[in-house]
Amino acid sequence: MKKVLVAAALAAASSILVATAWGSDKAPAKVSSAAAATIKCGKTQTIAIAAPLTGDAASLGLQQLRWAQFFAAHWNKAHKMKVRLVQGDTQLPNTAQALSVAHQFASNSKILALIGPAGSQEVQDTVNVYKHAGLDVVSGSATRVALTRGKTGTPRETPLGWFYRTVPNDDQQGARVSAWISNNLKKKRIYIIDDEEAYSQGLADQVQTLLNAKPGFHVSRDHVSQSVSDFSSVITRIPSNTQVVYIPWQLAPKAQLFFTQLRAAGKSAIVFGSDGTFAPGTFNAVGSYVSAFPVDFTSAALKAYANQHGGKSEAFGLPSYTAGLVNATAIAKACKDGTASRAEVRKYIRKTNLSKAASLLGFPVRFLGKNAGASQGPGDMAAPADFAIFHIESGGKYVRVG
Amino acid sequence: MTEFSETPGIPEAPEARIGVDTWVAEAEERRARAGGPLALLARGVEAMPPAVRMLVFLAVASTLPFWLNEGDLFSYGLFTLLYATLALGLNVVVGFAGLLDLGYVAFYGIGAYTYALLSSNHYGIHWPALATLPIAMAAAGLVGLALGFSARRLLGDYLAIVTLFFLQAFVAFSNTANPTVAGKGLTGGPNGIANLDPLKFFGYELTSTEQQYFFLLIVFALAATALFFANQSRTGRAWRALREDPLAAEAMSMPVNRLKILAFVIGAATAGLCGAIFAAIEQATVAGNFTVAVLITIYAIVILGGLGSIAGVVLGAIVINVSFQFLAPQSGHPEVKRWLFYGTLVLLVALMKPWYRGAVVLLGTVAFGFAAHAFVAAIAPASWTSGTAVDAGSASTAKAIADWVIIPEGHSSFNTYAYIALVAAIVALRSLKGWWRTAGLIPTLYLTAVVWENVLAPNPAVTALILFGAMLIALMTVRPQGLLGTARVEIV
Amino acid sequence: MHLLLYNIVDSIRSLGWAGAFELLRNGIVLGSLYALIALGYTMVYGILKLLNFAHGDIYMVGAFLGYGVFTRLGAPLSPSLSLVPLLILTFLAAMLGAGGLGVAVERFAYRPLRNAPRIAPLISALGVAFFLENSVLLLTNGNHYNYDTFELGGNPNTGLPGTLFHRVFSVAGRPVTVVQVLVVSTGLALMLALTLLVSRTRLGKAMRATAFDREAASMMGIDTDRVITSTFFIASMLAGAAGVMFGLYVGETYYFMGFLAGLKAFTAAVVGGIGSIPGAMVGGLLIGVVESFAIGYVGGQWSDIVIFGILILFMLLRPRGLFGSRAIQKV
Repeated sequence: MKKVLVAAALAAASSILVATAWGSDKAPAKVSSAAAATIKCGKTQTIAIAAPLTGDAASLGLQQLRWAQFFAAHWNKAHKMKVRLVQGDTQLPNTAQALSVAHQFASNSKILALIGPAGSQEVQDTVNVYKHAGLDVVSGSATRVALTRGKTGTPRETPLGWFYRTVPNDDQQGARVSAWISNNLKKKRIYIIDDEEAYSQGLADQVQTLLNAKPGFHVSRDHVSQSVSDFSSVITRIPSNTQVVYIPWQLAPKAQLFFTQLRAAGKSAIVFGSDGTFAPGTFNAVGSYVSAFPVDFTSAALKAYANQHGGKSEAFGLPSYTAGLVNATAIAKACKDGTASRAEVRKYIRKTNLSKAASLLGFPVRFLGKNAGASQGPGDMAAPADFAIFHIESGGKYVRVG
Repeated sequence: MTEFSETPGIPEAPEARIGVDTWVAEAEERRARAGGPLALLARGVEAMPPAVRMLVFLAVASTLPFWLNEGDLFSYGLFTLLYATLALGLNVVVGFAGLLDLGYVAFYGIGAYTYALLSSNHYGIHWPALATLPIAMAAAGLVGLALGFSARRLLGDYLAIVTLFFLQAFVAFSNTANPTVAGKGLTGGPNGIANLDPLKFFGYELTSTEQQYFFLLIVFALAATALFFANQSRTGRAWRALREDPLAAEAMSMPVNRLKILAFVIGAATAGLCGAIFAAIEQATVAGNFTVAVLITIYAIVILGGLGSIAGVVLGAIVINVSFQFLAPQSGHPEVKRWLFYGTLVLLVALMKPWYRGAVVLLGTVAFGFAAHAFVAAIAPASWTSGTAVDAGSASTAKAIADWVIIPEGHSSFNTYAYIALVAAIVALRSLKGWWRTAGLIPTLYLTAVVWENVLAPNPAVTALILFGAMLIALMTVRPQGLLGTARVEIV
Repeated sequence: MHLLLYNIVDSIRSLGWAGAFELLRNGIVLGSLYALIALGYTMVYGILKLLNFAHGDIYMVGAFLGYGVFTRLGAPLSPSLSLVPLLILTFLAAMLGAGGLGVAVERFAYRPLRNAPRIAPLISALGVAFFLENSVLLLTNGNHYNYDTFELGGNPNTGLPGTLFHRVFSVAGRPVTVVQVLVVSTGLALMLALTLLVSRTRLGKAMRATAFDREAASMMGIDTDRVITSTFFIASMLAGAAGVMFGLYVGETYYFMGFLAGLKAFTAAVVGGIGSIPGAMVGGLLIGVVESFAIGYVGGQWSDIVIFGILILFMLLRPRGLFGSRAIQKV
């Protein structure tokens, strides 16, 4: 009797699976039909978010997810057309999962727009799949310059018109940081430590190159694994006459640990972080500097976010909010006539024009259509999108100084 | 007699039950094998001759692209085949020869990087796939030879650790060290090498998922057939002898070291081939694809399927990959997952014997739920019951669920306590017996529903891994020898 | 290659004796933690021949339990108890909680597989590891929590080190702090207690007997189930203590910390000779020191490779580990 029951249950479960797989997207639809499909705009639209939700990069992906969910809740309160998020776990740095997520999203005809993926190498590996599916990649954290701007020796890495990012790229951040260190801080003995991830290495490379080019500067470079919490041996290597330690890391808690361990070892160098370490409440290293977008702390949205998350906010996931806004605005415009397709949504993404107050980044958001400046290309945000410098004052307060 | 066996991995004598004669002991083993639906499945598969098994599998697999959409074909079809082929290689090392190789995924990576270096703009080399695939196999095989040769004296767990070091060294080398060769970082560091050429055979490019799927199916069939014949051959018998009792094998003048190295090399070559194909499909390769996490998946497949059994490996790959990809949030259908979860719970309860106990538990849980909900609604502020069920499919279903399950709004510590209480309850249930256990099951089931609605359903990605881990534990405790395993494999 | 060697020599020279002492000190402190976790691995292996891959996650849960009690008592900014009782309570909570968890894991995931082929509990252990890691990820939302003990026992918000980070003594101008002494001495004390337990007490004798031959031990009237449960309890307790000490010394606890620590401790246990208790202790210290010097002299890019290279060479030259016994096989 038991065996019959179990066998029946197994049969039922497998038939559910089969039926689901079959009936879900209305037919064994090939990708191209999902891409070209025009769907009726019901009350709720679906936006996909691809981020590392498990694995060693989960803390980053979850930050992005939280901001995206915050955006969805925020938008749904103020608009009749509701937004629903579908999550995709990309398990960075295992790009095979990112690819699997891309294929799944591509075939899901309900998805009209995409937030993510998070990592630059993920973007490079999956952008062609998304292009084939007719989805724009709108990333809140892929900062590698070559994704939008090719240079001699490094061609542009994404097809034109299919990649946008709501975060300024590595070169922009690196330029601001090195300018601040040399012109404002006027320090010449710099020690750069990257966390062996692509984001960090790109930034570190850029700052190292720029500072090395200036006369009289003494720049050393080191690496430490992102999973390390005990920095004592790395700190031992830092010469005691170092004036600035630049740590463009992704994880703010690690930066805080580094700071306290550095002080515990008796070294008094100034610590300089990047937007990954911008996290009031977590990285509260008094006397340090952080480069990030000119976030406005007095805005109601940021206060609301901090309230929801134990009084702490951070800037790494914030661009995912903006990416969600970009997507939702485009979908709303495309849905004005009652139906929408991915191609229509893409058209409106290209014409994005968000106000400074709406974007939460501290500047209005428009996307470039061609190269601009020394290091920006199509898909980057147009000026005045740039980084600002913050100083951490006593009590852990972040004050914008540049 | 027992062997003095402080060195790990030297097999001890089989656990003979003392005071029982051979026939009784074997009968117990036969009975253990006969029980349960999994055993039915195992016997069914074993009853078919191997050729028929392969043909049936190929026939079913070939139909997949016609009724799965592209995303599902990629995640469920392509990945399963890839992992199955990888697991076949590991099966040779662990299942046939009994060597605990924890560095297997490094060969996967070596194959991938070799293909990447020979088929991209990294160094401007673009060799045809007919050349690069065998070269990738050879490269991985050579490294396997080197590793096998240097580690031939190591036994059991010591071999495991050296191979694990090797894997870590490989990942560190490609991700961090990235030495500069011919003007560029050899492995591309954390960015890896991108823009690889797709596989091209006789002018025919394999760019769509369907094409890649069929190609992989052919590769898998060839690899499985080759390994099947290897297993039937003298070498296969020698491996089995080595696995069962290495000392006796050596005493019978079998070249034990050479057999070990051969197993290593064949496993490495298979992994290298898979790596090259994988790199071509992804059109990129990154060190993060070859970490311990992937190793764990492959091991789970091999062990779950039953060591030493090719059909078992395939079954294991299907079970592990399909369940994992289905549980992952990107596969969609959150409502289906909810009903599957509740359905499984109901089923497990309904299987209690005698049948009326199951009925009592189910009815009791429903009643308990309504009572608890009413109680909390009466004495606690409204926010304790004002939350909504996530991804319920329809508003009425969501409301029905919220009326039964306590879903607070904004009480995050509630989630932590509920989860911990559930784990504690399950552990405590273990020690209860009889009607106490039945009684304890009722609040535990309700708590499970509460935890599902509050904690698990809103976090599908993490839930997938938690359920996956629980599934591994359950499957191993229910059937430790794996689905189709027959041998008691002791690690040499 | 020669560039690498040049860099190493340069680092050695520029760091000098002071730097060398600092690296040695760092290595010994971290090595004590690895040793404690490795002891747990080795004990469980000795008794069940099981590689408990979930052990690192028990360490992680211990760290979290300690953190929970630590912050519940108001630390680090406004502790409601003075330093010593605060630390004792934190340790107790972590050790007992971790011990309980270890016992539960054994009952659920390993006991049913007692007579299965050796590789089956390996997968079960991996399943437990998945389950624990992701449960904590779920409950903490991936957040990293900081014990933040830098100012503990001192004046808050001044940036000056509190009691834990006061200097106890200096060598070559480099300080050794209270917390470092605490970690090493607690580690040594626990290891000593364990050695005494195993060699002098009845339970220890029972453990040794069960490790030697489980069948025979049960025939001699030893309750092997109870012995195995006690072993898991003690092993997990040690891991929990290590977790708390890591939090106090380094500061951080998060869901993924067990993975790397478990891997290193497993390495230490095997390098020292798996199944051997002094082996685990020495192995842990060795790994800690090698790691520290490799990072200090070689620098981030190549340090991992150097560490693994050294370890691989060591294992190839001494296949049974430091204290592992030679295989004597009777037929």
